[in-house]
Amino acid sequence: MIPNDELYRRLFRTSLLIRLVEERIIDLYPSDRIQSPVHLSIGQEAVAVGVCDALRPDDLVFATYRSHGFYIAKGGNLDAMFAELYGRMGGVSKGKAGSMHLSAPDVGLMGSSAVVASSIPHAVGAALSFKRRGTSQIAMAVFGDGATEEGVYHESLNFAALMKVPVLFICEDNGLAVHSYRHVRQSYNLVKHAATFGIASRRLDEGWDMLAVRQATLEAAERVRAGEPFVLEIATARYKEHVGVGDDFHFGYRGQKEIDEWKARDPLLTDKTLLEALRPEIEREIEKAVAFAESSPAPGRSELLTDVI
Amino acid sequence: MTVTATKSQTAPTRVLSYAGALLETMDAGLANNPNAFIMGQGVDDFKGIFGSTTDLARKYGPKRVFDLPLMEEGMTGIAIGAALVGDYPITTHIRADFAFLAMNQIINLASKYSYMFGGIMTCPMLIRVVVGRSWGQGAQHSQSPQSTFAHYPGLTVVMPSTSQAIVDMYPQIIGRHPGPVVSIEHRLLYNLDFSVSASSKPIPLTSYVAREGRDVTVVATSVMVLEAMRAAQYVHETAGIEAEIIDLNSISHPDWDLVAASVRKTGRLVIADTSWLEYGVAAEVCRQLMLRDPGLLKAPPAMLGMASAPCPTAKSLEDIYYPSQHETVDAILTQVKGARHGIALPTEKSMTEGYKRFRGPF
Repeated sequence: MIPNDELYRRLFRTSLLIRLVEERIIDLYPSDRIQSPVHLSIGQEAVAVGVCDALRPDDLVFATYRSHGFYIAKGGNLDAMFAELYGRMGGVSKGKAGSMHLSAPDVGLMGSSAVVASSIPHAVGAALSFKRRGTSQIAMAVFGDGATEEGVYHESLNFAALMKVPVLFICEDNGLAVHSYRHVRQSYNLVKHAATFGIASRRLDEGWDMLAVRQATLEAAERVRAGEPFVLEIATARYKEHVGVGDDFHFGYRGQKEIDEWKARDPLLTDKTLLEALRPEIEREIEKAVAFAESSPAPGRSELLTDVI
Repeated sequence: MTVTATKSQTAPTRVLSYAGALLETMDAGLANNPNAFIMGQGVDDFKGIFGSTTDLARKYGPKRVFDLPLMEEGMTGIAIGAALVGDYPITTHIRADFAFLAMNQIINLASKYSYMFGGIMTCPMLIRVVVGRSWGQGAQHSQSPQSTFAHYPGLTVVMPSTSQAIVDMYPQIIGRHPGPVVSIEHRLLYNLDFSVSASSKPIPLTSYVAREGRDVTVVATSVMVLEAMRAAQYVHETAGIEAEIIDLNSISHPDWDLVAASVRKTGRLVIADTSWLEYGVAAEVCRQLMLRDPGLLKAPPAMLGMASAPCPTAKSLEDIYYPSQHETVDAILTQVKGARHGIALPTEKSMTEGYKRFRGPF
């Protein structure tokens, strides 16, 4: 890792933007300006940033309710994001989506779903269309380790393998489904499981390392673009509680030690020089987005039934 | 059995089975919409979804008509993903009951995609489901989930009752309608022949008058429209009663003004649905009329639907589980002439009798 390397700096900057955005959300949350559940990705930024940086702009991402990171990493507009969190007309979806359903189809982030695993087959469907049209685009499904327990994950893998569609399955393995550890939920190893479908797969343990994530994704995406699905499992760590803006170590269901070990390798905590160099301009960017949200009008009654088909 | 079409016959007519109408509209849908494709279990096999997709795989190739693993939720999610990037998917369920496995995608995703994302994305698609009835379909091959689907804003739910309804409506849906459509087809209708006309005024994606009358309004769905038509013919011949039949046709977007205007004219109402009455179409018809004018009816309405139980397989029970032709005629006569109408009921019991030469398999 070369700290002054341009690539590293770009990835670091986007990761830091995600972290500072979410820290701003933590600050704002007690004010009730954001009246909706938030699922913070603090600790997991390197996955979103490394993965999205490896994609082409016209590749599509289908993500989850923990979507702030992927929204920003794929290039979503920050003003529209904060206005969406605020439930305002200036939001991506005029406030009807909120934190759990962020999207930015103009930059390739399709609708995020709050029902675990439910957007996985959407990526497969988009990939099916890409294949039929002969475009070289790929589609990416992002999901947590818990999602792999759902039936539709297995249906999606089977179909993707059968039809050889260009879909990249990215598992963000933070080891937790809400408050349940993976070992009480899973009888399988995800990489070996993918192999039973004949799908190439890989696990990356260094999920804090943006460059490693990016490289692993580049290699996987190359195979996908050539016409086969791929499962890439990336270890990561959720610092905050499942939903909400607080810590949850005091509840005793998990230990702080494992997260502390992760934090010791987290570049956003260790690379203080770059952090301080970039922080002021990012904070200005965030303040501008917050100000935009504050000034954006709330949707009125005329919006209540608009967009129901 | 030929059931005469319901519209005024000025245009040239031809005879077309329900399955034939489906095959014709599927074929035209693929021909006219290069982005359309059909997927579902068995769509490319020799039975072709009861003849509604036969030979289309050969004609359009495996990229546009293809078989799937058993994966109802995955299939529907794949359809959503394909629709989001501009394709028009058509999915099939040979029994409506199997669509329950896809409910997460239909209800939580497809129905909400437009609204939940503020109108910046839509997932237009056609989900075809087939309701089974008779020959021991039992509890899990017979359900008719129109009110289930129509309960959720964002879905368009239609129940074509004739070949005419299919040839008129499907071209308005495939590649045209901006959102997800669930079409609830009825297996009993598939092998029936209908007269079809090339009308300049196609059946819309809402309710229409299938038979005009002055004495009683019958609001019906799917195969019950045919039951009602036959009953109307019977009471016309035996008692001079003119029943007005409204094919509700769209369960999600009915024409309530049309229904209310008819009931205002007749003052009497029979509701004939293919599913359970509780929290169903019958309940919604009553709610809509009550909201408009609680004084519209001269007598409490009659309601025909499935008995309040899962569907039994035994024929002796199945025969009394569904509303019979007896009951339909009796309900109409009772509305107009009272319970002591004294008019003999027909000998033929129901559509299943008209279908009696059929011996399966389904």
